[in-house]
Amino acid sequence: MSGFDGRDVKVLVIEDNQHARLLIRTVLQTLGVTTIREAKDGEDGLEVLKEFQADLVIADWKMEPMDGLVFVERIRRGADSPNPYLPIIMVTGYSEARLVIEARDAGVNEFLAKPISAKALVGRIVSVLDKPRAFVRCEGYFGPDRRRRQLPFSGGERRKPSLGEG
Amino acid sequence: MSGDEPEFIQPPNTLKNKVKYGPDGVDLDMLEKAEQIIANLQGNYLEWVQDDLTKLQGFYDKALATPEGERAKVFKDLFGVAHDVKGQGGSFGYHLMTAIGNQLCRFLEGTQKTGAAELDVVKVHLDAMRLVIGQRMEGDGGKMGENLLRGLQAVVAKVAPK
Repeated sequence: MSGFDGRDVKVLVIEDNQHARLLIRTVLQTLGVTTIREAKDGEDGLEVLKEFQADLVIADWKMEPMDGLVFVERIRRGADSPNPYLPIIMVTGYSEARLVIEARDAGVNEFLAKPISAKALVGRIVSVLDKPRAFVRCEGYFGPDRRRRQLPFSGGERRKPSLGEG
Repeated sequence: MSGDEPEFIQPPNTLKNKVKYGPDGVDLDMLEKAEQIIANLQGNYLEWVQDDLTKLQGFYDKALATPEGERAKVFKDLFGVAHDVKGQGGSFGYHLMTAIGNQLCRFLEGTQKTGAAELDVVKVHLDAMRLVIGQRMEGDGGKMGENLLRGLQAVVAKVAPK
């Protein structure tokens, strides 16, 4: 088959700018998604998730009072999280490398820089679908595996087993 | 080994179970349709962006009326609106608005001063945004857009810390 049928998918869009919300909703509706809820900041988003079992969250970063990054941390590591594995695409105007790393470290699945295009948003959604990342639980982190690709290493083994233990 | 080994978990992909799509993902027709629907919102954008320009003017006026040493909060508000302009223009075909908004954001982020020269930089960026919208300079604005950006960069270079 060709095309994309997202009619059974439930999406929560967390974005403080109403025009950006409309833009994201428009793209989602083109993909057939009809069950879309909206929230204006992270706190509002957490409230919605108490009674809305979203399959995907698309969240902005810069919001008040609770920004997208704190929201992601609450979902991944909060005691009251409705689903720590919830796929989250973070949409933001901040595209500097250090901020992308910060978002990744918080547990974001995919990152989308503004201005949003339909093609880019759909690309991130397909990426969440096609390349689901394993989750990692270790000291100081719980979230999607932050290594994007597993590349073979052709050099010699230089790691010393005795180091890094304990 | 210690007990601190990372644990790898393969979570259930409930999203994938609910979506039906072909091996090629989303077909081009569907993407084009989405892009077209967004392009149809361009008229709405031209109305929305006026709100941002009004807000920028309002914060600029407020900064002018505020003693120099107390302008930090107003500069933060200016940054917030410039950031919105940067984030939206390109979505609706006004990439030049994104470029000007981006340049204003980078300037406001980098400057430690909030004096008359810094306010002049804000004003020329606001005037440039008004020109882009007033003249409907879509895309990168062509040669005129290029000259406009170059002019703004020259103003920033004079005021921004070396």
